[in-house]
Amino acid sequence: MTRLITIHKGLVFTIVLRMTNDYDLSQDLTQDAFIKVFMNIKRVKGAAHFKPWICTITRNVVRDHFRKAKRTQAISFENVKDFHVEGKSNIDSTRRRIVIQGALAKLAERDRMILTLTYYEGLSLGEVAQALKMSENAVKVGVHRARKRLRKYLEGYEHELMSIH
Amino acid sequence: MNSCPYIEKIIDYRLHRLTDEERSSFETHLDSCPSCRHELAIEMAVEDELAAEFQPGLIEQAVMRRLEIQREKDIRSFWLYSYRIAVLGITAAIAIFVLLPYLLKFPRSYQLDMGKYAVAFRDFFAGLAAIDPIFLFMGFGYFLLITSSIYALAQLRR
Repeated sequence: MTRLITIHKGLVFTIVLRMTNDYDLSQDLTQDAFIKVFMNIKRVKGAAHFKPWICTITRNVVRDHFRKAKRTQAISFENVKDFHVEGKSNIDSTRRRIVIQGALAKLAERDRMILTLTYYEGLSLGEVAQALKMSENAVKVGVHRARKRLRKYLEGYEHELMSIH
Repeated sequence: MNSCPYIEKIIDYRLHRLTDEERSSFETHLDSCPSCRHELAIEMAVEDELAAEFQPGLIEQAVMRRLEIQREKDIRSFWLYSYRIAVLGITAAIAIFVLLPYLLKFPRSYQLDMGKYAVAFRDFFAGLAAIDPIFLFMGFGYFLLITSSIYALAQLRR
Protein backbone atom coordinates (compact mmCIF):
# COMPACT_ATOMS: atom_id res chain seq x y z
CA MET A 1 0.00 0.00 0.00
CA THR A 2 2.73 2.48 0.92
CA ARG A 3 4.44 1.60 -2.37
CA LEU A 4 1.30 2.52 -4.26
CA ILE A 5 1.27 5.91 -2.51
CA THR A 6 4.96 6.46 -3.28
CA ILE A 7 4.41 5.71 -6.98
CA HIS A 8 1.32 7.85 -7.48
CA LYS A 9 1.65 10.66 -4.94
CA GLY A 10 3.35 12.95 -7.47
CA LEU A 11 0.44 12.62 -9.90
CA VAL A 12 -2.22 13.10 -7.23
CA PHE A 13 -0.45 16.01 -5.57
CA THR A 14 0.22 17.74 -8.91
CA ILE A 15 -3.46 17.56 -9.85
CA VAL A 16 -4.58 18.84 -6.46
CA LEU A 17 -2.04 21.64 -6.40
CA ARG A 18 -2.99 22.77 -9.90
CA MET A 19 -6.63 22.84 -8.84
CA THR A 20 -6.22 24.53 -5.45
CA ASN A 21 -3.05 26.61 -5.65
CA ASP A 22 -2.58 25.94 -1.95
CA TYR A 23 0.34 23.81 -0.82
CA ASP A 24 -0.92 22.94 2.68
CA LEU A 25 -4.45 22.24 1.52
CA SER A 26 -3.07 20.08 -1.29
CA GLN A 27 -1.19 17.96 1.26
CA ASP A 28 -4.45 17.24 3.10
CA LEU A 29 -6.49 16.64 -0.04
CA THR A 30 -3.81 14.30 -1.42
CA GLN A 31 -4.16 12.21 1.72
CA ASP A 32 -7.97 12.30 1.40
CA ALA A 33 -7.67 11.11 -2.20
CA PHE A 34 -5.48 8.14 -1.22
CA ILE A 35 -7.86 7.18 1.57
CA LYS A 36 -10.71 7.17 -0.96
CA VAL A 37 -8.57 5.15 -3.33
CA PHE A 38 -7.87 2.47 -0.74
CA MET A 39 -11.46 2.36 0.49
CA ASN A 40 -12.72 1.75 -3.05
CA ILE A 41 -9.81 -0.08 -4.64
CA LYS A 42 -11.96 -3.15 -5.35
CA ARG A 43 -13.93 -1.13 -7.90
CA VAL A 44 -11.00 -0.71 -10.29
CA LYS A 45 -11.52 -2.75 -13.43
CA GLY A 46 -7.97 -3.89 -14.11
CA ALA A 47 -4.54 -2.34 -13.76
CA ALA A 48 -4.86 -0.45 -17.08
CA HIS A 49 -7.69 1.62 -15.62
CA PHE A 50 -5.93 2.45 -12.38
CA LYS A 51 -4.27 5.75 -13.35
CA PRO A 52 -7.39 7.29 -14.95
CA TRP A 53 -9.42 6.10 -11.96
CA ILE A 54 -7.05 7.68 -9.44
CA CYS A 55 -7.19 10.95 -11.45
CA THR A 56 -11.00 10.91 -11.38
CA ILE A 57 -11.04 10.26 -7.64
CA THR A 58 -8.58 13.09 -7.05
CA ARG A 59 -10.67 15.48 -9.13
CA ASN A 60 -13.79 14.51 -7.18
CA VAL A 61 -12.04 14.98 -3.84
CA VAL A 62 -11.05 18.53 -4.85
CA ARG A 63 -14.55 19.27 -6.17
CA ASP A 64 -16.12 17.97 -2.94
CA HIS A 65 -13.79 20.12 -0.92
CA PHE A 66 -14.74 23.27 -2.81
CA ARG A 67 -18.41 22.36 -2.68
CA LYS A 68 -18.22 21.95 1.10
CA ALA A 69 -16.05 24.99 1.65
CA LYS A 70 -18.13 27.04 -0.82
CA ARG A 71 -14.97 28.70 -2.02
CA THR A 72 -14.26 30.03 -5.45
CA GLN A 73 -11.30 28.53 -7.19
CA ALA A 74 -10.21 31.81 -8.73
CA ILE A 75 -7.01 32.94 -7.12
CA SER A 76 -5.26 36.19 -7.84
CA PHE A 77 -1.66 36.32 -8.99
CA GLU A 78 -0.62 37.80 -5.64
CA ASN A 79 -1.97 34.84 -3.68
CA VAL A 80 -0.16 32.20 -5.69
CA LYS A 81 2.78 30.88 -3.75
CA ASP A 82 5.82 29.10 -5.05
CA PHE A 83 5.79 25.31 -4.95
CA HIS A 84 8.65 22.95 -4.32
CA VAL A 85 10.08 21.28 -7.36
CA GLU A 86 13.22 19.32 -6.84
CA GLY A 87 16.24 20.40 -8.81
CA LYS A 88 14.99 23.82 -9.89
CA SER A 89 14.86 26.82 -7.71
CA ASN A 90 15.85 30.32 -8.61
CA ILE A 91 14.09 33.65 -8.62
CA ASP A 92 13.33 33.62 -12.35
CA SER A 93 11.81 30.14 -12.38
CA THR A 94 9.82 31.04 -9.27
CA ARG A 95 8.43 34.12 -11.01
CA ARG A 96 7.62 32.11 -14.10
CA ARG A 97 5.84 29.52 -11.96
CA ILE A 98 3.80 32.17 -10.18
CA VAL A 99 2.79 33.82 -13.46
CA ILE A 100 1.74 30.56 -15.14
CA GLN A 101 0.02 29.22 -12.03
CA GLY A 102 -1.86 32.51 -11.74
CA ALA A 103 -2.98 32.28 -15.38
CA LEU A 104 -3.99 28.64 -14.87
CA ALA A 105 -6.08 29.67 -11.88
CA LYS A 106 -8.12 31.90 -14.19
CA LEU A 107 -9.02 29.00 -16.45
CA ALA A 108 -12.16 26.95 -15.99
CA GLU A 109 -11.68 23.83 -13.86
CA ARG A 110 -12.12 21.59 -16.89
CA ASP A 111 -9.43 23.41 -18.90
CA ARG A 112 -7.03 23.28 -15.99
CA MET A 113 -7.62 19.57 -15.59
CA ILE A 114 -7.12 18.92 -19.31
CA LEU A 115 -3.80 20.79 -19.34
CA THR A 116 -2.57 19.24 -16.11
CA LEU A 117 -3.23 15.68 -17.22
CA THR A 118 -2.13 16.14 -20.85
CA TYR A 119 1.26 17.54 -19.94
CA TYR A 120 1.83 15.22 -17.01
CA GLU A 121 4.53 12.82 -18.07
CA GLY A 122 3.41 9.21 -18.00
CA LEU A 123 -0.25 9.66 -18.91
CA SER A 124 -1.28 8.62 -22.41
CA LEU A 125 -3.96 10.45 -24.38
CA GLY A 126 -6.25 7.46 -23.84
CA GLU A 127 -5.72 7.61 -20.07
CA VAL A 128 -6.41 11.36 -20.02
CA ALA A 129 -9.61 10.81 -22.02
CA GLN A 130 -10.68 8.02 -19.66
CA ALA A 131 -9.98 10.13 -16.56
CA LEU A 132 -11.97 13.06 -17.92
CA LYS A 133 -14.70 10.84 -19.38
CA MET A 134 -14.20 12.38 -22.80
CA SER A 135 -13.28 11.04 -26.21
CA GLU A 136 -9.65 11.32 -27.33
CA ASN A 137 -10.68 13.80 -30.02
CA ALA A 138 -12.52 15.94 -27.49
CA VAL A 139 -9.36 16.00 -25.34
CA LYS A 140 -7.27 17.11 -28.34
CA VAL A 141 -9.68 19.93 -29.11
CA GLY A 142 -9.88 20.80 -25.41
CA VAL A 143 -6.09 21.05 -25.09
CA HIS A 144 -5.88 23.38 -28.05
CA ARG A 145 -8.60 25.66 -26.70
CA ALA A 146 -7.20 25.63 -23.18
CA ARG A 147 -3.72 26.52 -24.47
CA LYS A 148 -5.16 29.45 -26.39
CA ARG A 149 -7.05 30.71 -23.36
CA LEU A 150 -3.98 30.29 -21.19
CA ARG A 151 -1.88 32.28 -23.66
CA LYS A 152 -4.46 35.04 -23.56
CA TYR A 153 -4.22 35.24 -19.77
CA LEU A 154 -0.43 35.36 -20.07
CA GLU A 155 -0.46 38.45 -22.27
CA GLY A 156 1.70 41.14 -20.70
CA TYR A 157 3.80 38.62 -18.75
CA GLU A 158 6.12 37.67 -21.62
CA HIS A 159 9.14 39.11 -19.85
CA GLU A 160 8.66 36.82 -16.82
CA LEU A 161 8.10 33.81 -19.07
CA MET A 162 11.24 34.43 -21.11
CA SER A 163 13.55 35.48 -18.30
CA ILE A 164 15.17 32.06 -17.89
CA HIS A 165 15.51 31.29 -21.58
CA MET B 1 1.25 39.18 -29.22
CA ASN B 2 2.36 39.70 -32.81
CA SER B 3 0.13 39.85 -35.87
CA CYS B 4 1.97 37.31 -38.04
CA PRO B 5 -0.52 34.94 -39.73
CA TYR B 6 1.62 31.95 -38.70
CA ILE B 7 1.07 32.73 -35.03
CA GLU B 8 -2.11 30.64 -35.06
CA LYS B 9 -0.10 27.58 -36.05
CA ILE B 10 2.28 27.61 -33.10
CA ILE B 11 0.10 25.63 -30.72
CA ASP B 12 -0.73 23.10 -33.44
CA TYR B 13 2.97 22.86 -34.19
CA ARG B 14 3.77 22.11 -30.56
CA LEU B 15 0.91 19.62 -30.35
CA HIS B 16 2.17 17.85 -33.54
CA ARG B 17 -1.05 18.54 -35.38
CA LEU B 18 0.40 19.99 -38.58
CA THR B 19 0.74 17.94 -41.74
CA ASP B 20 4.30 17.34 -42.99
CA GLU B 21 3.85 20.08 -45.58
CA GLU B 22 2.47 22.60 -43.06
CA ARG B 23 5.19 21.70 -40.62
CA SER B 24 8.07 22.27 -43.04
CA SER B 25 6.48 25.50 -44.26
CA PHE B 26 6.13 26.68 -40.65
CA GLU B 27 9.74 25.76 -39.83
CA THR B 28 10.99 27.69 -42.88
CA HIS B 29 8.93 30.66 -41.75
CA LEU B 30 10.37 30.44 -38.24
CA ASP B 31 13.89 31.08 -39.57
CA SER B 32 12.83 34.43 -40.90
CA CYS B 33 10.32 35.57 -38.26
CA PRO B 34 11.72 36.69 -34.89
CA SER B 35 8.26 37.34 -33.41
CA CYS B 36 7.11 33.75 -34.13
CA ARG B 37 10.37 32.44 -32.63
CA HIS B 38 9.66 34.55 -29.56
CA GLU B 39 6.09 33.24 -29.36
CA LEU B 40 7.32 29.66 -29.79
CA ALA B 41 9.79 30.15 -26.95
CA ILE B 42 6.94 31.38 -24.72
CA GLU B 43 4.83 28.34 -25.58
CA MET B 44 7.77 26.06 -24.78
CA ALA B 45 8.29 27.80 -21.43
CA VAL B 46 4.60 27.28 -20.64
CA GLU B 47 4.88 23.60 -21.58
CA ASP B 48 7.91 23.19 -19.32
CA GLU B 49 5.91 24.57 -16.43
CA LEU B 50 2.83 22.50 -17.23
CA ALA B 51 4.95 19.36 -17.28
CA ALA B 52 6.35 20.02 -13.80
CA GLU B 53 5.58 17.40 -11.17
CA PHE B 54 5.12 18.49 -7.58
CA GLN B 55 5.86 16.30 -4.60
CA PRO B 56 3.93 16.35 -1.33
CA GLY B 57 6.79 15.01 0.81
CA LEU B 58 6.48 11.92 3.00
CA ILE B 59 2.76 11.36 3.32
CA GLU B 60 2.77 7.54 3.31
CA GLN B 61 2.69 7.03 7.09
CA ALA B 62 0.08 9.74 7.60
CA VAL B 63 -2.20 8.13 5.00
CA MET B 64 -1.81 4.68 6.56
CA ARG B 65 -2.60 6.08 10.02
CA ARG B 66 -5.71 7.87 8.74
CA LEU B 67 -6.78 4.77 6.86
CA GLU B 68 -6.58 2.72 10.06
CA ILE B 69 -8.69 5.29 11.93
CA GLN B 70 -11.22 5.32 9.08
CA ARG B 71 -11.53 1.53 9.16
CA GLU B 72 -12.05 1.52 12.93
CA LYS B 73 -14.77 4.13 12.45
CA ASP B 74 -16.43 1.96 9.79
CA ILE B 75 -16.41 -1.06 12.12
CA ARG B 76 -17.87 1.05 14.92
CA SER B 77 -20.64 2.37 12.66
CA PHE B 78 -21.39 -1.20 11.55
CA TRP B 79 -21.88 -2.26 15.19
CA LEU B 80 -23.90 0.87 15.92
CA TYR B 81 -26.17 0.06 12.97
CA SER B 82 -26.57 -3.55 14.18
CA TYR B 83 -27.33 -2.24 17.65
CA ARG B 84 -30.04 0.06 16.28
CA ILE B 85 -31.65 -2.77 14.33
CA ALA B 86 -31.55 -5.01 17.43
CA VAL B 87 -33.15 -2.31 19.59
CA LEU B 88 -35.88 -1.76 17.00
CA GLY B 89 -36.52 -5.51 16.84
CA ILE B 90 -36.73 -5.80 20.62
CA THR B 91 -39.07 -2.77 20.78
CA ALA B 92 -41.32 -4.35 18.16
CA ALA B 93 -41.31 -7.70 20.01
CA ILE B 94 -42.20 -6.01 23.32
CA ALA B 95 -44.96 -4.09 21.58
CA ILE B 96 -46.43 -7.22 20.00
CA PHE B 97 -46.02 -9.70 22.83
CA VAL B 98 -46.23 -7.56 25.97
CA LEU B 99 -47.90 -4.19 25.44
CA LEU B 100 -50.56 -5.19 22.98
CA PRO B 101 -51.81 -8.23 25.03
CA TYR B 102 -51.73 -6.03 28.13
CA LEU B 103 -53.78 -3.33 26.45
CA LEU B 104 -56.19 -5.88 25.03
CA LYS B 105 -56.39 -7.54 28.49
CA PHE B 106 -55.35 -11.02 27.41
CA PRO B 107 -54.86 -13.56 30.26
CA ARG B 108 -51.27 -13.29 31.53
CA SER B 109 -50.46 -16.97 30.88
CA TYR B 110 -51.34 -16.55 27.20
CA GLN B 111 -48.55 -14.04 26.69
CA LEU B 112 -45.84 -16.72 26.80
CA ASP B 113 -47.71 -19.33 24.81
CA MET B 114 -47.72 -18.59 21.10
CA GLY B 115 -50.57 -21.01 20.36
CA LYS B 116 -52.85 -19.65 23.04
CA TYR B 117 -51.77 -16.15 22.09
CA ALA B 118 -52.87 -16.65 18.51
CA VAL B 119 -56.18 -18.15 19.64
CA ALA B 120 -56.73 -15.23 22.02
CA PHE B 121 -56.07 -12.83 19.23
CA ARG B 122 -58.54 -14.61 16.94
CA ASP B 123 -61.18 -14.73 19.71
CA PHE B 124 -60.59 -11.11 20.56
CA PHE B 125 -61.13 -9.97 17.01
CA ALA B 126 -64.11 -12.33 16.63
CA GLY B 127 -65.60 -10.79 19.76
CA LEU B 128 -64.94 -7.30 18.54
CA ALA B 129 -66.41 -7.69 15.10
CA ALA B 130 -67.67 -4.14 15.33
CA ILE B 131 -64.12 -2.76 15.50
CA ASP B 132 -62.30 -2.73 12.22
CA PRO B 133 -59.04 -4.76 12.65
CA ILE B 134 -57.30 -2.36 10.24
CA PHE B 135 -57.89 0.35 12.80
CA LEU B 136 -56.01 -1.70 15.42
CA PHE B 137 -53.14 -2.48 13.05
CA MET B 138 -52.83 1.18 12.11
CA GLY B 139 -52.63 2.04 15.79
CA PHE B 140 -49.89 -0.53 16.16
CA GLY B 141 -48.05 0.97 13.15
CA TYR B 142 -48.21 4.45 14.66
CA PHE B 143 -46.90 3.09 17.92
CA LEU B 144 -43.86 1.60 16.16
CA LEU B 145 -43.29 4.82 14.22
CA ILE B 146 -43.33 6.96 17.37
CA THR B 147 -41.05 4.53 19.22
CA SER B 148 -38.47 4.44 16.45
CA SER B 149 -38.61 8.24 16.01
CA ILE B 150 -37.89 8.74 19.71
CA TYR B 151 -35.02 6.30 19.42
CA ALA B 152 -33.61 8.03 16.31
CA LEU B 153 -33.79 11.43 18.03
CA ALA B 154 -31.98 10.00 21.05
CA GLN B 155 -29.24 8.67 18.73
CA LEU B 156 -28.92 12.02 16.96
CA ARG B 157 -28.56 13.82 20.26
CA ARG B 158 -25.76 11.46 21.18
